[in-house]
Amino acid sequence: MKMSDNPAMAELETRRAAAREMGGAEAVAKWHEKGRMTARERIAAFVDPDSFHELGMLTGKGRYTAEGHLIDFTPASSVMGQGNVEGRTLMVVADDFTLRGGSSEGAVSDKWIYAERMALEFRMPLVRFVDSVGGSVKILEQAGRTKIPGYALWPSTALMGSVPVASIAFGACVGLGAVRAIGAHFSVMVKGQAQVFAAGPPVVKQGLGHDVDKEELGGHELCTRVSGAILNAADTEQDALAQVRRFLSYLPANAWEAPARVASGDDPRRRAPALNTLVPDNPRRVYHARKIVDAVCDQGSLFELAPGFGGSLRTYLARLDGHAVGVMLGDPAVMGGALTRAAAQKMERFVDLCDSFHLPIVNLVDQPGAMIGLDAERAGTLLAAAKAGAAIEQASVPWVSIVIRRAFGLAGSMLGPWNGPNGTSLNHRFAWPSARWGSIPIEGGVAAAYKREIEAAPDPLARRAELEAYYHRLSSPFRTAEAFGVVDIIEPADTRALLCRWARDASRLVQTQLGPKRRTLR
Amino acid sequence: MSTEQVPSPVTGLVWKRLATVGETLSEGDTIMLIESMKMEIPVDMPRAGVLKAILVKEEDSVAEGQAVAEIE
Repeated sequence: MKMSDNPAMAELETRRAAAREMGGAEAVAKWHEKGRMTARERIAAFVDPDSFHELGMLTGKGRYTAEGHLIDFTPASSVMGQGNVEGRTLMVVADDFTLRGGSSEGAVSDKWIYAERMALEFRMPLVRFVDSVGGSVKILEQAGRTKIPGYALWPSTALMGSVPVASIAFGACVGLGAVRAIGAHFSVMVKGQAQVFAAGPPVVKQGLGHDVDKEELGGHELCTRVSGAILNAADTEQDALAQVRRFLSYLPANAWEAPARVASGDDPRRRAPALNTLVPDNPRRVYHARKIVDAVCDQGSLFELAPGFGGSLRTYLARLDGHAVGVMLGDPAVMGGALTRAAAQKMERFVDLCDSFHLPIVNLVDQPGAMIGLDAERAGTLLAAAKAGAAIEQASVPWVSIVIRRAFGLAGSMLGPWNGPNGTSLNHRFAWPSARWGSIPIEGGVAAAYKREIEAAPDPLARRAELEAYYHRLSSPFRTAEAFGVVDIIEPADTRALLCRWARDASRLVQTQLGPKRRTLR
Repeated sequence: MSTEQVPSPVTGLVWKRLATVGETLSEGDTIMLIESMKMEIPVDMPRAGVLKAILVKEEDSVAEGQAVAEIE
């Protein structure tokens, strides 16, 4: 018997066909004219071929004749289901903008919340494709009532401690759409076509009288460089999809599993002689910090998170001899390397990500201290720094620090956990010969402590220089090494060999530490 | 050719001007150094072009994002 010979089977196929049509041929054509993929095309481009298993395809709204026969069917503006990425199953949920602007209403929220709950229950990564303008007053008319905002059963925060969550902002993401885009371990927005904000320009005009265009209000320049609400920007939709696939490749499927090791063709003992001369002798000169991670990590393994935000701290997912790790790198070329509010927020978030999903952390330190000055104090830099410090102290994932150049003050002390959540953290730390550290830097410290003596000297500048030179000799890292204040001072060229050996040990250790992390108040 | 303003990447003092007005420079060439957090932070050419103007003097205090040069 053919499917169409059975009325119920024929109706099933009719309804499925309508769901595949989404907003209809005309709406889809208009969408394509804007150069955008539909929700279904985005899913197909994201998951492994033929791996998508749709759930809730029949959710929507049927119209019926007086006798109760189906006239037509409009699907819900959300497509969701399971798919594989690199052979590993995950949940994917995509807003369909060809239907009422991807608006969140009725059964649509039931559907995307189900996807998130299923990801939590089955411990699978969750990927959200957000393209939603938020609520519409027209829904009020359909419901005949208003509701207290919020969603029962949405496990938004529980998810973040259990499974990797990634989101792509494909278009305007407003209100709830913005929250779904932002509330993820990895978020990326498509340049020029995605905006993320609490409310769009018309609402801002009405509420505040300000004229502002949507790109200025919530485009990638603001979100990925100023506010940090979204981590990365993508040039195209395909680029955004590739970035999420890349992000997921470093992570386990959930907090109960360890990250997978991949085969690496890069010699773990490969030396990098160029690193021996990378840091200039003149302490005022900056250098290209990125060259360190390029030389140290497995070739082609670096994936930078939030490259445009808090740039004095660079954060990467990377591999060492095939083992996935998180790498932090101080960049003196940005804000002198100071820990700004943005850099501190970025650090807190990155440490939490690595700790939650068992990625051992490598901290390559060049830290002059927390950013100083009126702007920095007003921005709440110290509060952000304290929270980042607390995140480090709460981290129980294996950790190694290498001081490349500076480690000064409060921010300099945050090179690794001193006690850790169990009071037993090793604080495994090394240094390059170019390293200097202290509670305060020599230059400012000498000027403050010897103020009267310097002023009284016949040549105050000469006296200050003399005192500074004396203290610089005292601050040789070899003197610290004599007292075992640092485990070892290494030749920069050998940094990769040291870290690859450590990564093997760290990877074995995390196998014994699996499960979600509990953290105290910070 | 359009004129573009080059912002200071950091709050600090103008330490040294390294390029001369009228000079043709490549992308990444350093126009001046800003002293901040005891470091010399370079202000680099965002693209190749001609340095049309330097908008600050040595020892001037500059804010992050403030235009310090014009290129064409």
